[in-house]
Amino acid sequence: MNPRYLRLGVLWLLLLTVPWWLPYVGGYTQLGTRVLVYALAAMGLNLLLGFTGGLSFGHAAYYGLGAYGVGLTLKYLAPSTPLALVIGTLVGGVAATLLGPTLMRRRGVYFAMITLAFGQLFYFIVVRWNNVTGGEDGLTGFQRQPLHFGGYVLPLHDVTFYYLVLFCFAIATAVMGIILRSPLGHTWVAIRENRRRAQFLGIPVERYVWASFAVSGFVTALAGGLNAMLNNFTSPLDLYWVLSGDFVIIAVLGGMRSFWGPLLGAIIYLVAQDYLSSITDNWQSFIGVIFILVVLLFPRGMLGMLRAKARSA
Amino acid sequence: MELLLYDAFNGLIVGMFYALMALGLSMILTLNSVVNMAHGGFLILGAYLAFTLEPYLGFWGALVAGPIVAMIFGLIVERILIRPIYKRDDPVYSLLLTFGLALIMQDLARTIWGPAGLPFAIPDSLNSSLSSSFFFLTGYRAVVVVIAFFTVVTLMLVMRYTRIGIRIRAGIRDLDTVSGLGVNIYVLRALNFAGGCFLAGLAGVLAAGQLGLTPTMGASLIMPSFVAIIVGGVGSFLGSVLGGLLIGVAAGIMTTYYPAASDAVIYGIMALVLIVRPRGLMGQEGMFE
Amino acid sequence: MSLLQLKGISRSFGSLRALEGVSLEMSEGELRAVIGPNGAGKTTLFNMVTGLFPPSAGEVRFDGHDVTGESAERRTRQGIVRTFQITEVFPDLTVFENLRIGVETAQRANALPWMSRTRRAAVERRVDELLSITGLASKSERVVSELAHGDQRVVEVAIALSLAPKLLMLDEPTAGMGDEETDNMVGLIRKLHDEQKLSILFIEHDMDVVFGIAQRITVLDQGRVLAEGTPDEVASDRRVRAAYLGEAA
Repeated sequence: MNPRYLRLGVLWLLLLTVPWWLPYVGGYTQLGTRVLVYALAAMGLNLLLGFTGGLSFGHAAYYGLGAYGVGLTLKYLAPSTPLALVIGTLVGGVAATLLGPTLMRRRGVYFAMITLAFGQLFYFIVVRWNNVTGGEDGLTGFQRQPLHFGGYVLPLHDVTFYYLVLFCFAIATAVMGIILRSPLGHTWVAIRENRRRAQFLGIPVERYVWASFAVSGFVTALAGGLNAMLNNFTSPLDLYWVLSGDFVIIAVLGGMRSFWGPLLGAIIYLVAQDYLSSITDNWQSFIGVIFILVVLLFPRGMLGMLRAKARSA
Repeated sequence: MELLLYDAFNGLIVGMFYALMALGLSMILTLNSVVNMAHGGFLILGAYLAFTLEPYLGFWGALVAGPIVAMIFGLIVERILIRPIYKRDDPVYSLLLTFGLALIMQDLARTIWGPAGLPFAIPDSLNSSLSSSFFFLTGYRAVVVVIAFFTVVTLMLVMRYTRIGIRIRAGIRDLDTVSGLGVNIYVLRALNFAGGCFLAGLAGVLAAGQLGLTPTMGASLIMPSFVAIIVGGVGSFLGSVLGGLLIGVAAGIMTTYYPAASDAVIYGIMALVLIVRPRGLMGQEGMFE
Repeated sequence: MSLLQLKGISRSFGSLRALEGVSLEMSEGELRAVIGPNGAGKTTLFNMVTGLFPPSAGEVRFDGHDVTGESAERRTRQGIVRTFQITEVFPDLTVFENLRIGVETAQRANALPWMSRTRRAAVERRVDELLSITGLASKSERVVSELAHGDQRVVEVAIALSLAPKLLMLDEPTAGMGDEETDNMVGLIRKLHDEQKLSILFIEHDMDVVFGIAQRITVLDQGRVLAEGTPDEVASDRRVRAAYLGEAA
C-alpha cells in the first residue's frame, strides 16, 4: 500500500479516537480540541506563509474576527451553531480579502509589518467598541447550541464538540489539500520558490498572493469561530499580536513546507505551554526561549528535519 | 480650545517617543533587514535600568545610563542571536527570533520589577510649568522635546556627513557592494543595531518620566512605531520621525473630540496612507517590493 | 516575417547612457546572437525588451504590435520568454514540477483550484515531451537545486520552452559551463531552432558558440549597434575587430 495513504490512515484513526486514548497519556478531550483549533489556524496561515511565501504576522486578527463573529451571532442573532460558524468565517475571511490589495505589492519584512499593524487595527476596534464587544473584558453571554438534524438533537458536550471540530477540520484540510495539489497550489509554490521567475512566466504574482491571503484568512477565521464555541467566550486577546506570533511559531516548529507540519507544531506547542504554565510563573520566558531555539536550531521544523533525513538516506 | 492645545501637545510628546522608536526600528529594518519585535524590550530595558540606577546616578545620570545599557545589550544580542541568521533568506526567522526575545524581556521585567506601574522620579525643577498661559508646558516636557530634537538632528548629521553614516546609508542600498569595497559589514551592522537600541532605550527613559513604568509599555509603544514607519515611508529616516510625530499629534487631537477612537485613529491613518500613497509620505519606490 | 523590431531605442540611468539609438529587426525563425564587450548594453537591451523597464525613447514592436509600454508579465504572455544570466528556476522543486508550472501557465490553468484526471494526464504528457526534447527525462524527479550548474540552466531553458514562446531570449546560456555542458547547450539550442522552429535571440560571450550556430549577429558597443550581419560579415568587419581586439579602426 502507498506509504502516504498508510500514514494518513493512521493519522485519521488517531484523530478519530482521541477521546479514548488522550486521557490515558495525561491529556483531556478539551486539550485535543484546542490542538485541532490551533492546528487549523496555523494550517490556514501556512497556506500563505509556507506555501506562497507570504509572511503574515497578523493572522490572529482574522482568527479573532471569526471568534467575535460566532459570539455575536449566538448572542444577538440566532441560537444556531452552523449559522454562527458561517458568519464568523465570513467576517474574518472577508476582512482578509479586503486587506489584500494594500499588501499585494510588498514583500518580506515590510509585508510582515503591514500585516502586524492591521492586526492591531482590528484589535483596537474590538477593544474600543465595547458596548458591542464587551471591550477588554471579552464577550460573554453566548453558548454553543446543540445541533438539529431533522428531529434529532445533538448536544455539544466536550466529546461531541470535539467531533464537530474534527469534522470542520476534516473538511477544511480536504479543501486545502485539494487546492494545494491543483494548478493554483502549484502557482503559489512557484511564487514562493522564485517570485521573479514566476513573474517572467507571465504570472500576475500579486493577484495570486492576494488569493492566498484571502483563503488563508477564511480558514483561520473558521478556527477562531470554533475556538469561541469551545470556550463559550472570546476576548481581544484572540486578536492580539502575540497570538499571531504563536501561529507562526507553530507552523515553523512543525515544518512550514509540509502540509501537516502545523498539526505537529500545535501538538508540541500547546502541550509545552500547558505543561510550562503549570510549573512556573515565567512560562512566557520559556516560550520565548522556544521561539529562539526553533529559529536557531530547527528552522526547517520537525517534519522538515525528518524529510531532509529521509532524502539523504 | 485650550483643551485642544493641551491634547495636541501631549500627543506631540508621545509622538516624540514614537519618533525615536521608529527611527531606531527603521535603522535596523533597512540595514539589518530585521523587524526588531524586541525593540519594545530594549525600551523597557533602558527605562527600568534608569529607574534602578536613579538613586545612585540621579536623574541626568540615569538618563544617560539607560540608553547606554540598552545599546550594550543590543550589541550582545546582535552578536549572539542575530548574526547567525543574516544569511537566511527567509525573514520569518528574524521576526520569530526577536519576537521570542520580546517575550522573554517583557516577562523578566515583570518578574524583576513587578507587574504594577512604577513612578519614575523627575527633578522638582522640571516639574513646574514654564508658562503661565500654557500650564502643560512643564520643564520636563520641554526637556523631552529638546533631547529628542537634539538626538534626531545629531543622528541625521551623522548619517549625512560622517564616514560611518555614509557607509550605513550605502549599505542600506547595496550591502554586497559596500562589503566588496572592503568595509567590515559585520561591525557596521552591529553598530547600526546598537544605535537603534540606544534610541529605544532613550525613548524608554524619557517615556518613563512622562508615563511611568510598566512591563507592557514596550509593547504599547512599539506598534505605533511600526505605523510611524509605514506612514512616514519605508527607507526614509526623516519620514519615520515625522510619521511618529504626526500620529502622536493626531491621536492627541482625537482625544479631545472622540477619546474612544484615539488609538484606532493611528491605524486609520495608516490604512489611508496605504491606499492613497502606498510607499508612505516620504518613502522611496521599490523598497521591499 | 518581422517578429521583433526595435526602433531608435535609448535608455539612460541617470547620466549613464546604457543604450543609444539602437535599432534591430529580427525575423521569425531566426537564430540571432547579440555580442559585445562588457558594458555594451546587451543585458540592458534584454531587460528592456522583456519589459523590466521601459525605454527612455524609441519603440518596441513584437509580432506586429507596439509593446513598448507593456509590463513584463504581459509581454511574456504574448510570447517573449527569457532566461537569465544567473539561473532563475524553482530551486526546491523537482525538474518535473518546474516544467509543470510552465505547462500549466501555457494552458492558462494557473488559477484552477482543481483539475480533472484527464487534464492532469495531458499536462503530464506535455511535461514528458519537454523532458525528452531537452534531454532531462532521466532527471525528472531530481530536485533542481541539487543538479549540476549546466543541468540547472537546461532546466531553465526547458521552463521557457514550456510556455511555447514565439521568441526565446537566452541571456548567456553557456555562462559558467564547462566544455561538455556547453556542447550540450549548443546542441539543444540548435535543436530548438532547427526542429522546433523557434525564433531565438541570445547573448553570448563564447565566440565559438556564437560563430558556430548564429544565423545573424548584432554587435553592440557602448550602447550603440556597431555592426550587424551574417557571421562572416561581422567577423571581417574592422570596427568589430577594433572594439574587441583594440586594433586601430
